[in-house]
Amino acid sequence: MAGVVLDNIVKAYGAVQVVHGIDLEVQEKEFVVLVGPSGCGKSTTLRMIAGLEEISDGDLTIDGRMVNRVAPKDRDVAMVFQNYALYPHLNVAENIAFGLRIRKESKQVIDESIEEVAGILGLTDYLERRPADLSGGQRQRVAMGRAIVRRPKVFLFDEPLSNLDAKLRTQMRAEIKRLHKRLGVTSIYVTHDQVEAMTLADRIVVMHDGRIEQIGTPMELFLNPANAFVAGFLGAPPMNQIKATIADGTHGPMAEFSGQKIALAPLPGLQNAVGREVIVGIRPEYSQIVTGASDGAVMGDLDLVETLGSEALLHLRVGGEPFVIRTETLGNIDKLDAVKGFTAPPELIKVFDAQTGLALSGQTRVE
Amino acid sequence: MSTPGTNIGGPGKTEEQVLLAKQALHRTRPSRIIRVGAHLKREWQLYVMLIPTIVWLLLFLYKPMYGLQIAFKDYSVFRGIAASPWIGLEHFETLFNNDQFLRALRNTVVISFYSLLFGFPMPILLALMFNEILREWFKKTAQTIVYLPHFISSVIIAGIVITGFSPSAGIVNTVIEWFGGEAVYFLTRPEWFRPIFVGTTIWQEAGFQSIVYLAAIAGVSPTLYESAVVDGASRWQMMWKITIPSILPTIIIMLIIRIGNMLEVSFEMIILLYQPATYETADVVNTFIYRQGLQGGQYDLAAAAGLFNAVVAFVLVMSANAISKRYSRTSLW
Repeated sequence: MAGVVLDNIVKAYGAVQVVHGIDLEVQEKEFVVLVGPSGCGKSTTLRMIAGLEEISDGDLTIDGRMVNRVAPKDRDVAMVFQNYALYPHLNVAENIAFGLRIRKESKQVIDESIEEVAGILGLTDYLERRPADLSGGQRQRVAMGRAIVRRPKVFLFDEPLSNLDAKLRTQMRAEIKRLHKRLGVTSIYVTHDQVEAMTLADRIVVMHDGRIEQIGTPMELFLNPANAFVAGFLGAPPMNQIKATIADGTHGPMAEFSGQKIALAPLPGLQNAVGREVIVGIRPEYSQIVTGASDGAVMGDLDLVETLGSEALLHLRVGGEPFVIRTETLGNIDKLDAVKGFTAPPELIKVFDAQTGLALSGQTRVE
Repeated sequence: MSTPGTNIGGPGKTEEQVLLAKQALHRTRPSRIIRVGAHLKREWQLYVMLIPTIVWLLLFLYKPMYGLQIAFKDYSVFRGIAASPWIGLEHFETLFNNDQFLRALRNTVVISFYSLLFGFPMPILLALMFNEILREWFKKTAQTIVYLPHFISSVIIAGIVITGFSPSAGIVNTVIEWFGGEAVYFLTRPEWFRPIFVGTTIWQEAGFQSIVYLAAIAGVSPTLYESAVVDGASRWQMMWKITIPSILPTIIIMLIIRIGNMLEVSFEMIILLYQPATYETADVVNTFIYRQGLQGGQYDLAAAAGLFNAVVAFVLVMSANAISKRYSRTSLW
């Protein structure tokens, strides 16, 4: 089984520890995305898996074999780098064949492999070109070709789409997804872009300050973030977070902030929690606009309307704190100027402990 | 309905507006003199910094070109350059009928060839070796030791070489005598001059010249090496397949410059090391010019030899550049 297992992996530079003992099991053929803000340790973790960084402590197993002390070339992994790492003096065919030539494969094997990979990635017409004569997307394809051609057990991607423009990134994202479906190779992908993580991953690993915050499928993480950090990291725009206090309402618990109240679901985590300081998390897309005083609505001041075409982002100030609502325009943006507040279904409101940031409310069912 | 490349004003509207804007700009654009004046006023500090270099170029490189005409004149110090009569290519005929000049020309070519063959790769090898040293303290110490001779005066370097090869107290002869050999007065032996000279110039300059290549190596993206490591390349393979091809444009540029300066062998060092006994292998065009012009007072003949040297160097550098441009996509201009 070509899985990857990280058991209490630590990375320290002298006395400074940057990865604090992470545990992760990547199943065979799985596409796992490590996501997190800059400096969270995701690239360092990937580089430890590749063998480019020494592991300070813990065990790394690839395909059932402990590889802590195994040289990168013997780990049977291939890596795609952010800046493509193409050899400028070699043409596309030579770049793709580099790894095979190093391993002294026969000319016939090399030629067949180049032809096959170029066919898969649509590079057949560019084999004689040098990297300088290619577009960003083509260069990225060559970098992937170089990884594919070796038929490794594990693919490692280190922010491979960061240098591309938005349109090309979307296109290449889809190509990577298709490629993974076609080849079925275990893949670990690092990015700071939560959209890439959501769209590509079988499972997402959210990292922060050298620790794993949560592991799960994209929808699990989106609907049931384990803490306020994950809630704020995934989703575009991110989940609104308002400091509040739990109050007792007529029909169940409520969150009280700035003299306003919003109903919460009667979940086990909120029992006997009256008076507790919490953070209320409401996704912009789960908030419904109201244009006048309405029962159960939270009122705010409309600050800005950002029109996206079919949708619009409404920026409100609620009790002095920013709050974003994503709503459909249905072709009429004038009506949005009249927005005075919002309502949100209690079962979709998340509640986090104000001190620890951990989720208090129960699970939202993943469809 | 709008089409790509046009705005909502209708097809062709944008292009029309751009054309009108360009025409308006052309009409209102100030004259070139006014624009240059405005540029100078804005950036005058940069031009002030350029003045010393321009003055140096004019004084020491362009003004002497006026004197080149004496290569075609029967020059007399008393008559001056302008009043000396033209004699055509007579000095060149004299030169090519002069055995000493032909010998100097042959020596120049041979010494230049040896310098190029052994001296040119040495800084590259040093840079590659420095790049492979992992211990920082050792790297810095080695670099300092290798750079040092460049900062020592040629006179002192020559003194060290003369002493080192001295038949009485020189370390080379002492070692030869330890092994039962006989002391050799190397610097009076024509067959030893070229190796000693080429070795000395390599020792003096190779380290310092390696800085250019080290800088080129520093510019190679570390991810190329990381990618190669994952692909399974050894350090030796990375040096051959990544480092050297990556610094090849720099190597070619340095080679073109070197070929251009091929006939300009380190003339001070030759003057310091040679003696009449070794003229046979040591006398080069520049030392010939020095002896004819400054010591013999034949300025016109020396100017002809110098001009010949310059023309050959010009042809060499042009040819090297053209060949490089054609075959490696790299060139000086």
